Amino acid sequence: MQIELKNLHYSYPSGGEVLKGINLVIGGTEPVAIIGQNGAGKTTAVKHFNGILRPTSGEVLINGENIETRSTAQWSKKVGYVFQNPDDQLFLESVRKEFEFGPRQIKMPEKEIKRRNEWVAELVGMSEKLDMHPFDLTPSEKKFCTIGAVLMMDPDVLIFDEPTCGQDVQGNHRLLSIIKALKERGKLCITISHDMKFVVSSFRRIIVMCGGEVILDGRAEEVFAQTEILKKSFVAPPPVTKVAQGAGLKKTVFTTEAFMEALEDERKV
Amino acid sequence: MGRIILEVKDFSFKYRQTKQKALKNISFQVEEGNFFCVIGANGSGKSTLCSALAGLIPHYFTGKMSGRVIVDGISAGESTIAELSQKIGFVFQNPFNQLSYTAGTVAEELAYGLGNRGVSRRMMMEKVEFVSKLMRIDHILDKNPLELSGGQVQRVAFGSAFIMEPEILVLDECTTQLDPAGSEEIFDIVKELNKKGVTVIMADHDMERVARCADKILVLEKGRAAALDEPKKIFGDPEIMQHGVGIPDYVEITRALKEKQYTDRDIEIAEGPAIEMVREVLDRCKLN
Repeated sequence: MQIELKNLHYSYPSGGEVLKGINLVIGGTEPVAIIGQNGAGKTTAVKHFNGILRPTSGEVLINGENIETRSTAQWSKKVGYVFQNPDDQLFLESVRKEFEFGPRQIKMPEKEIKRRNEWVAELVGMSEKLDMHPFDLTPSEKKFCTIGAVLMMDPDVLIFDEPTCGQDVQGNHRLLSIIKALKERGKLCITISHDMKFVVSSFRRIIVMCGGEVILDGRAEEVFAQTEILKKSFVAPPPVTKVAQGAGLKKTVFTTEAFMEALEDERKV
Repeated sequence: MGRIILEVKDFSFKYRQTKQKALKNISFQVEEGNFFCVIGANGSGKSTLCSALAGLIPHYFTGKMSGRVIVDGISAGESTIAELSQKIGFVFQNPFNQLSYTAGTVAEELAYGLGNRGVSRRMMMEKVEFVSKLMRIDHILDKNPLELSGGQVQRVAFGSAFIMEPEILVLDECTTQLDPAGSEEIFDIVKELNKKGVTVIMADHDMERVARCADKILVLEKGRAAALDEPKKIFGDPEIMQHGVGIPDYVEITRALKEKQYTDRDIEIAEGPAIEMVREVLDRCKLN
């Protein structure tokens, strides 16, 4: 799968340009993280990936095909979007119904629905909660319920909008294992997150947005080495990275092990 | 030891619709002017505890309760939410739960609590102006609260708690909708209020922030108090992660350096001292 944005501009009907000419190619199966402060245009950008929003000018191509050729409902078989706020997505009276709703709409065979349901419920940790009402779930469980509902559709691309918000240690672990499992199945995951520890733990490619533009795009080590540009975009590297940078270590590190290796290198000099 | 402003005595609570108790035999005291943090995995009871401190338990959420919560000498169970709100300001996890849903504008939303307290119109306008500038929402005062972004609603929620000038602020994972820079900005304001004497009780998942702010930390695990101590003691305990909580990166770095015997410093829990410690290690080997 490949998503390509060509000079994408977007203005909300109420006025104000939110995206100011974005050029981007995202493809393959390597998970990609999009970071940047509130209002940078992250959500607006990803909502173009399956046509929830349509460009004011410029082009969005999915595998070379212009987004305008199909409806959002049609694209959602290929590109699944998990909303930032679970309450914007959940509307049925049980987790199971949430999971089965999408597949039934696209007439997925019942056998296939059942098979996928088991795999998805296990992956998102909902096996024991399939008969619960989504409104009785904790905020973190609601998030996993919405992720599960989108995974049920078996799209080639998954977009997670702030999945880390309100998650604890275990929740973040589960998210990482979901992203890993999807990569193994040949899926492309694109994730928006404010949690830098989470971002560096599983995303090699990082895209930084600021004021409706992409200001950095590259390997995590390269991106977080650009301290001045990051400061301007109000993005701070993870704590361990900041300590290394503050103490003058030359390498950009994201783990304590890498930190110690970098420290040993400096000691030898 | 300062004056005890908040006391929880052998407190247990079970929600009506659940089988398990959400909190089991919790006891602790908070000194006036302290910054008291509550950490623990999701489902460990943090939000339940915050609700009990603000009187939402037992007055709003019903269930089976035992033990006592005493706020500035008043038993929370026996007084009304109105009485408690004179002392305690509560900022909810979901900021949309905080809105009155009767205010047509952000300005009215901010003034809502003051109106219930019978504050004069002039005073109200002064306070709204001050708080909206503090929270950087003075440009959206005329907007409908339901038209705002999550981050903006969170700022309004904070503003409507601050405007009542509470002695105690209870913050329940209150910056989930804000980006890191936005949360830091709000926590700087909270720290400023704390310096001026406001007692703060905060439940949060950001361990770096907790380590930096807290005078004391309560660790909850499955409704029980697993630990209660100063930040350096809590994060210095090698077993602490078994309770389902993370630790600040700085602690991991200190441990790795101590293991190699590169430093004899105590556990470091903040960025500045951690950088200093690493510089010392580097300087020392340059001298050799």
